[in-house]
Amino acid sequence: MRFDLTHVTVYDWGASTPVADCRLRLTPIGRRRQKVHASALVIDPLPEHAVDETDFFGNHVTRIAFRAPHSRLTLRSTASVTVEPLPDLDPKRSPPWEEVAARAAGATRLAPDDPVQFVFPSRHVLLTPAVTRWTGECFTPRRPILEALLALTRRIHADFDYTPGVTDVATPLARVFEERRGVCQDFAHLMIAGLRGLGLPAAYVGGYLRTLPPPGKPRLEGADAMHAWIEAWCGPTLGWIGFDPTNAILASEDHIVVATGRDYADAAPVIGILSSSGAQGLSVSVDVVEASPPAIPTQTAPTPAAPTPPEPRDPVLPPV
Amino acid sequence: MRWSDAVDPALSDLVAGYRPVPGVHDELVDAEGRPRAHWLPLLARLAALGRPEVARRFAGADRYLSESGVVYRVYEDGRDFDRPWPIAHLPIVIDELDWQVLAEGVEQRARLFEALLADLMGRADLVASGALPAALVAGNPEYLRPLSGVAPADGHFLHLYAADVTRAPDGRWWVLADRTQAPSGAGYAIENRVALSRALPEAFEDLGVERLGPFFQSLRAGLAHAAGAAPEPRIALLTPGSGNETYFEHAFLARCLGFQLVEGGDLVASETGVAVRTVAGLERIDVLVRRIDADFADPLELNPNSRLGVPGLVEAVRAGRVAVANALGSGLVEAPGLTGFLPNLCRRLLGEDLALPNVATWWCGEPAARETVLRDLDRLTLAPAFGRTLPGILDSAGVLGARLTRAERERYAGKLARRGVDFVGREPLRLSTAPVWEKGRLTPRPFAIRVFVARTPDGWRVMPGGLARFAEREDVRLLSMQRGGRSGDVWVLGAASAAARAETRLLPEPDKAEIRRDNGILPARAADNLFWFGRYLERAETTLRLLRGLDGHGDDGVLETSRDLTRRIAGMLRQGGAVDEEAVDALGLAEAAAWGPTAGSAARLVAEAHRTGSVVRDRLSPDAWRTLAELRDRLARAREDGARPLPVFDEIESALRAIAAVVGLAQETMNRRDGWHFFDLGRRIERAIGLTRSARAFTEADADADALDMLLDLADGRVTYRTRYLSGSARRPVLDLVLLDEANPRALAFQVARVVEHLATIAARREGDLIEPAERLARRLATGLETDDAALFDAERLRAVEAELRAISDAVTVRYFASGSPLPTDDAGR
Repeated sequence: MRFDLTHVTVYDWGASTPVADCRLRLTPIGRRRQKVHASALVIDPLPEHAVDETDFFGNHVTRIAFRAPHSRLTLRSTASVTVEPLPDLDPKRSPPWEEVAARAAGATRLAPDDPVQFVFPSRHVLLTPAVTRWTGECFTPRRPILEALLALTRRIHADFDYTPGVTDVATPLARVFEERRGVCQDFAHLMIAGLRGLGLPAAYVGGYLRTLPPPGKPRLEGADAMHAWIEAWCGPTLGWIGFDPTNAILASEDHIVVATGRDYADAAPVIGILSSSGAQGLSVSVDVVEASPPAIPTQTAPTPAAPTPPEPRDPVLPPV
Repeated sequence: MRWSDAVDPALSDLVAGYRPVPGVHDELVDAEGRPRAHWLPLLARLAALGRPEVARRFAGADRYLSESGVVYRVYEDGRDFDRPWPIAHLPIVIDELDWQVLAEGVEQRARLFEALLADLMGRADLVASGALPAALVAGNPEYLRPLSGVAPADGHFLHLYAADVTRAPDGRWWVLADRTQAPSGAGYAIENRVALSRALPEAFEDLGVERLGPFFQSLRAGLAHAAGAAPEPRIALLTPGSGNETYFEHAFLARCLGFQLVEGGDLVASETGVAVRTVAGLERIDVLVRRIDADFADPLELNPNSRLGVPGLVEAVRAGRVAVANALGSGLVEAPGLTGFLPNLCRRLLGEDLALPNVATWWCGEPAARETVLRDLDRLTLAPAFGRTLPGILDSAGVLGARLTRAERERYAGKLARRGVDFVGREPLRLSTAPVWEKGRLTPRPFAIRVFVARTPDGWRVMPGGLARFAEREDVRLLSMQRGGRSGDVWVLGAASAAARAETRLLPEPDKAEIRRDNGILPARAADNLFWFGRYLERAETTLRLLRGLDGHGDDGVLETSRDLTRRIAGMLRQGGAVDEEAVDALGLAEAAAWGPTAGSAARLVAEAHRTGSVVRDRLSPDAWRTLAELRDRLARAREDGARPLPVFDEIESALRAIAAVVGLAQETMNRRDGWHFFDLGRRIERAIGLTRSARAFTEADADADALDMLLDLADGRVTYRTRYLSGSARRPVLDLVLLDEANPRALAFQVARVVEHLATIAARREGDLIEPAERLARRLATGLETDDAALFDAERLRAVEAELRAISDAVTVRYFASGSPLPTDDAGR
């Protein structure tokens, strides 16, 4: 499936801000099953400098710095991306989960994509006995790992309420688990915590999900949002496979990856430090459309809808 | 014959009751209970001095530490406070050969960890070749992925390394823990040394104790070397701030070694380098000695919640524009999980056998080790593999296997099976003992010594001595200054040559020292705090002086404060936020304004002065600081539980005297460079604002003689007025004396003249010849005061003057304190 993506983020600093340093992870990366034909990041006002780099986990990072006062910052990321569907999988024929855990613990590589990078607690993923126990109920002895992972994905979807607005980046996982509600980012972190508690490698994925309008309704431009899901390592043969606990599905050709890491902190679309005391507003609009064939890589992406009025909050992107 | 029959009875008496713990090595006596030979000279000295004299001298050592302001910050009951540095008065004496073994072993570890870091943060061949499991690196919270593959600018990870050591029962040294992140304690070691060598100068000389000074000179030389080709390397010590437990040491070391003491907020960093934001603009830093943990060093690339770090520091490191000591990532090799691998790694990396053994440790990520630990759990301690608490599972101190119930054992067995990678099993720590002086007796106490090694331009150098720490009880397994316990000095014997002994000083001999006048560049944040320190002190004084007026002690003997004057004072106090409602009488008003809860009460203002002062404490004299802390506590107590030893007006007088003492000490001791100018600038501006308000309040609408006299009192002008004018107080001459008389140190014109001087001096330090806005405003105001007549100063004019003063303060803030100035792109660096 080929997509044209537009992701517009507008920060309203409230007061004029003389200095801002940011790290942006807004440009989708080419990886297995995903090809980026073209991408562009337009920043307004123009930063004093903007440097493109690749971070430890292979994400595309843009380092920008402002040294001139400005009160509003617009980040407009566009990309044209093709995602291949996931090949057919037979859950019953995947290896027992214990074997996968043992392999990860005995790793002899420190490569960024080695499973060993993803079995330990990280900034947003603390391991708690309660979550491990709960997750362990899906991981009965010798159960094939894919089967167990699908069961866990469905279980999170069934047991947790999708409730925007009750959690943010700082909400501890223990509370998400206790209250059984949150958003995609929380569910991803929860699933990762459960898997790592069992010694299984799990990674966080930030990106977009193509959404289809309700039957009979036109697509609303800019109505999509950033999404988060996980990838679990399923042994050397199967490798990394994506699971979307928010929607109880496998991540296949509708999931477009922007950045991955151990958790949100590694894949955060915008990390910024600014010297400002004013109230801040933020608005985000994401637009994922299927490219009409034949797609022209350089074609202009659709104009985003006018940003909704900003409401004051921390300068981080709201998760779906 | 027993040994004691042959020696001085006083000496044998000293040792008589000394009972070492069976099965544990003791420093003072051997297995037969005989004092070891190298302790005898010290014991003989103590015996000769006699108990009362020894006690007197040890009390002197305590006094020295207290007067030097040596403190350790502790947290208790949700509050933190400074605790006096507790010292064990006897040094641990170690003879030359014994020390040499230890020193060589510790130096070897420094080399080993340097090589290990270079490999793990570089190509990680050790992992690829199977010498070290990948999980031990990937699972370590100190493995900084943004710096993986980045070589330090100066080529080295470690500049200062420390090992905590004690002795095995057979007397061999072994290592309890390694400190590679940001080893603390070297500064405290100096203070302990000064205190003890003063208490026992004869013994110190007799014994030929190795001096510490040369070590610190080497450390400094090594850090200067790290700056590379920079001709005058700028070195800064990055502290988490005055709330940190070892802040005293940060300030002390910075002062001793001539480093700039900075906090994250003082620095700006980017790929062009790191610089201190100072009142004179940005000043490049070549070497950053960090005392904050790596994770907090950069909110952009490491912990985004850190308020202690410097955004962009990781970028500056990646660009090779700053040397950080120890390098970010150095904490990686502190992990207990690595311990069991060290002998093999040492052979592999250095081609040597590991000289100093560790307490036996098994990392449970390996199935075989896990089996061993589960089997022998009864005699082992289970602890986190990476030294950090596992929330809800195990705290960083670990748990003794023998203390677990059957059910707990099974639970841990399950956890080890699932996530063995997170655990180590190790032999319980058993500390050897050394004597402390307790109520006139020698008593054995468990101890550990932190031994320091510094990188110098010619290799590693071990500090001949160290920081000893004693547990308070015999059965304590862990040492922490947070949890009580004492520190002590370590005397290494063998400084035989006179030349070695002559090197007594930390800093070079005075006549050999390089003359350096510059007190270092003044960071903008320090200037900001000094400015407000001055303003708060002055504001507290103004408030207290107003309250004094309520007492009605005029020299004309009037005892009752007239209603009109009370009303005017109350109005001023309300305006200043000292009280929030109408008080019933003068006494109630005085109490509310002195220690009431409102933001402008004297107690609150003194607390604010204390807070701002604490940020720049390294620039204040210990006496001034102590006086201020006492005043703050006294006023706070008066508010909290009404504990007032004195009537309110006596308290006010005493508080005024205390403030005068603080200001006097600050004036007398503060270096007359930038810092003092900002402090005094703050005081002058605040006093000038207070005067304009007082002048308004006490001259407005039919002010009577009482009100005018009050105004004279506030400006200390009554005596001058009486000698100058025969008539009673009248508006115009009073205003002339209070506002315009430049010779009166409490007059408005005098304050403004000082403000102009300070601003001119400060501006002269900056490049460029444009007059700064603040100075321009101040000069204009000064001219007006010089030429105008007192009669012109009505309420409106006074309000205008106050507004001008505030504008000056704002201009100073914008020009000198504002954060966020850009770092210029500068390719002239390294």
